[in-house]
Amino acid sequence: MTADLSRGSAGNGRSAATERTRRISSLLFLRLRDLDAFEDIRDDVLDEFRADDTCQALLLKDPREALLELHMPLVEHCARRFRNRGEPYEDLVQVGTIGLIKSVDRFDTDRGVEFSTYATPTIIGEIKRYFRDKGWAIRVPRRLQELRMQISATTAELTQSLGRSPTARELSEVIGCSVEEIVEGLESSNAYSTLSLDATDDDSDRGAGQSMLDAMGVDDEALEHVEIRESVKPLLENLPPREKKILLLRFFKNMTQSQIAEEIGVSQMHVSRLLGRTLEQLRESLESEA
Amino acid sequence: MPETSSPVSGGTATAGDPTEVELRLPADGAYASVLRTLTAGLAARLDFTMDDIEDLRIAVSEAAAMVLDEADEGAVLDCRFRLTPGELMLTISTDSQTPTPPDYESFGWQVLATLAAEAAIDTAPGSYAVRLTVRSSLES
Repeated sequence: MTADLSRGSAGNGRSAATERTRRISSLLFLRLRDLDAFEDIRDDVLDEFRADDTCQALLLKDPREALLELHMPLVEHCARRFRNRGEPYEDLVQVGTIGLIKSVDRFDTDRGVEFSTYATPTIIGEIKRYFRDKGWAIRVPRRLQELRMQISATTAELTQSLGRSPTARELSEVIGCSVEEIVEGLESSNAYSTLSLDATDDDSDRGAGQSMLDAMGVDDEALEHVEIRESVKPLLENLPPREKKILLLRFFKNMTQSQIAEEIGVSQMHVSRLLGRTLEQLRESLESEA
Repeated sequence: MPETSSPVSGGTATAGDPTEVELRLPADGAYASVLRTLTAGLAARLDFTMDDIEDLRIAVSEAAAMVLDEADEGAVLDCRFRLTPGELMLTISTDSQTPTPPDYESFGWQVLATLAAEAAIDTAPGSYAVRLTVRSSLES
């Protein structure tokens, strides 16, 4: 196998980058499984990649970790194939990575196949299993699940061929069911995923990272005032008439202290003192209540 | 069904002969989905496209929410559909002792006005109604 590995790039039509990834991958597997054999060719290998620091660094890292790092684009590629199915892309990458880890641990280098050939079905299998295990947010009969998939596939096809969104009748004609069943199927599609309030919106045209919770209303500011007003009300009732009148003139009629003084026939200083004392009393009663 | 040319199966709706459908529900948000489902079902028979139906669902939700806000305790939501080929008109009304004047600045109204071809709020002493008309995009 060492002889096979040291053959270098064959260049039989594949892109140079793919070829290099495969070469590094097989060298890393050699290092992972048979360290002595790798040490024998170590200098030749480092010489082979002398022009590429990142590759050299990768080859000298922990081989298992390096293999995972090297093949992450494969996981991302697989995960992308399952986008728009209601699960966050990042989650798919995460379960796909579990598939990659399993592949690295189980890959048999003596079989003579490329690692990616072995890993791809394992990664996709892991993602598919995730979909199967996770299931629908609300349990929907299998008949409707299948109908929903048919509707969504046929909608895409017809939208393409008609150049517009299809009608329920057009869908029913292609699928071969009744319009009622189409409506029923549409209804069930709302049950596939429930929306998290914290989930961010993928549509970037409304500002990325906006979650449903962000878009939700806040308590009306005036609401808090209602509570305060309600608790102040009985306290106001108990105030002596003159103090009540001063508060009223000051805060509801928005009069100045001098105007109030003139209105009730006392000095402005006196109004100021009365106002201060009344407010202080109110504040104390409120606080002692709370 | 595919060979039936009439938009409403079993019905005989033509331009001059609108089909009337009426639904009465408790004025309670829990029943809003029944209204949405019925609306989608009717629109599907009027040759609305999937996109139209999706828009219609949202418009109906907003209209229903506006009316529910005004409904008296224990009131009934009266939903009347007028169906003509390619067009659905829906009036949702309820008893409301003290209807608030229409708020054309509200988010719900903005959504409704955007999605529906025509929309209106009718308030009268003792009642509150929202009317909306939606047309199939195939008609225009």
